[in-house]
Amino acid sequence: MTVRVIGLLMTVLYSAVIVWLYSAQPQTGAQAMGGLAATIGAYRIDQRSFDDGLAFFRQDKFPEARMAFERADQARRDARTQFYIAYSFYREGWGRFYSDDRLFRLGLEAVARAIEVAPGNRLTVEDETLGMRTTDELKAELQRGLQRDASDLNPLRVFEPRK
Amino acid sequence: MTPVREAIVLPALFLTVTLLGGLRASDTVSLLPPSLTALVLAMLLMATLVRSRTFEPLALMNGSRSIAENSSGLVVLLSLFAASAQAVNAVLPERGLLHAGFAVLFFCQLMTMSAAASGRMPTLRGLVVLFGSLFVLRHIVFEALYAPGGGLLHRVLTAMLSGASLGGIAYDPNAPVTGYVAFLTLALYMIGVLLLPIRPTETLVRRTGVAVRSS
Repeated sequence: MTVRVIGLLMTVLYSAVIVWLYSAQPQTGAQAMGGLAATIGAYRIDQRSFDDGLAFFRQDKFPEARMAFERADQARRDARTQFYIAYSFYREGWGRFYSDDRLFRLGLEAVARAIEVAPGNRLTVEDETLGMRTTDELKAELQRGLQRDASDLNPLRVFEPRK
Repeated sequence: MTPVREAIVLPALFLTVTLLGGLRASDTVSLLPPSLTALVLAMLLMATLVRSRTFEPLALMNGSRSIAENSSGLVVLLSLFAASAQAVNAVLPERGLLHAGFAVLFFCQLMTMSAAASGRMPTLRGLVVLFGSLFVLRHIVFEALYAPGGGLLHRVLTAMLSGASLGGIAYDPNAPVTGYVAFLTLALYMIGVLLLPIRPTETLVRRTGVAVRSS
């Protein structure tokens, strides 16, 4: 009887892991382990790497910031880190005359990840240095940057500030 | 069959097959759930296993077993079905005419084995040959044919195949690790099938303490 109960519990657990792996489609071992840890609330980012990333981000060193953020959140399960990664793509891709579509698309992917893992799919980052503090604002701004319409020809757009 | 084998070993084997059967590695790693074709073929595969007495479902679930025993049996049956679907998934190409061609070949072979109902060992040998042939075709022949970086003759041959089938023959090559994982998957599946119970006798003997064997 005990063996059967243990077997049943193991099977349920193993099945749950398989279903999760098939739905989450992790690309690396770190993502798989981090995702599993996140499902039981045990996932933690590397705080030191996050702080390094934040320091680079505030110095406008965006590729360096992203490297540090990626190192901090290897499983891509921390909404705040993914938010900063998306924001770094926005700031690096933003231009007074035009935006870099490739970077904006990567930013959209990152903000989508942030929304996906944020509790209730909402995230507000309390950071005074940011012009946009929610995932909704950032996502909308990135989407606007990728749109092609008549407002692109408005000469007053060159006076719009980087957020 | 011992409780450990029924409650732990068989589900663990079949769930591992379920996990690995959908793994495809190329530039990215993806886990493909079984297609509808694979699910249908898995049903036929299980029917073939039962008809050929390769395993006996009554040994896993029947009225004389306790709830815990029947639960274990149900888990084995469900995990066997999932593993069968993913074992088929591991040897079927994902799309196009090749997917259909492999599925028809698998279907015809299963029907033949089922109609013959030739017993446990011939069926097991037949399954090894069937899975082995499809594995070689898919993971060795087609992978070699569609591997990136081939020469001019290689490109002409694949272009001719695609052109002659009006684009119907298309194949997405995978990294070599996919083939190794598929080989392991099929090996584990065959080991699992080999370990399935043949006769519904052991539980009755153990619970009553009387050496009654229901054949």
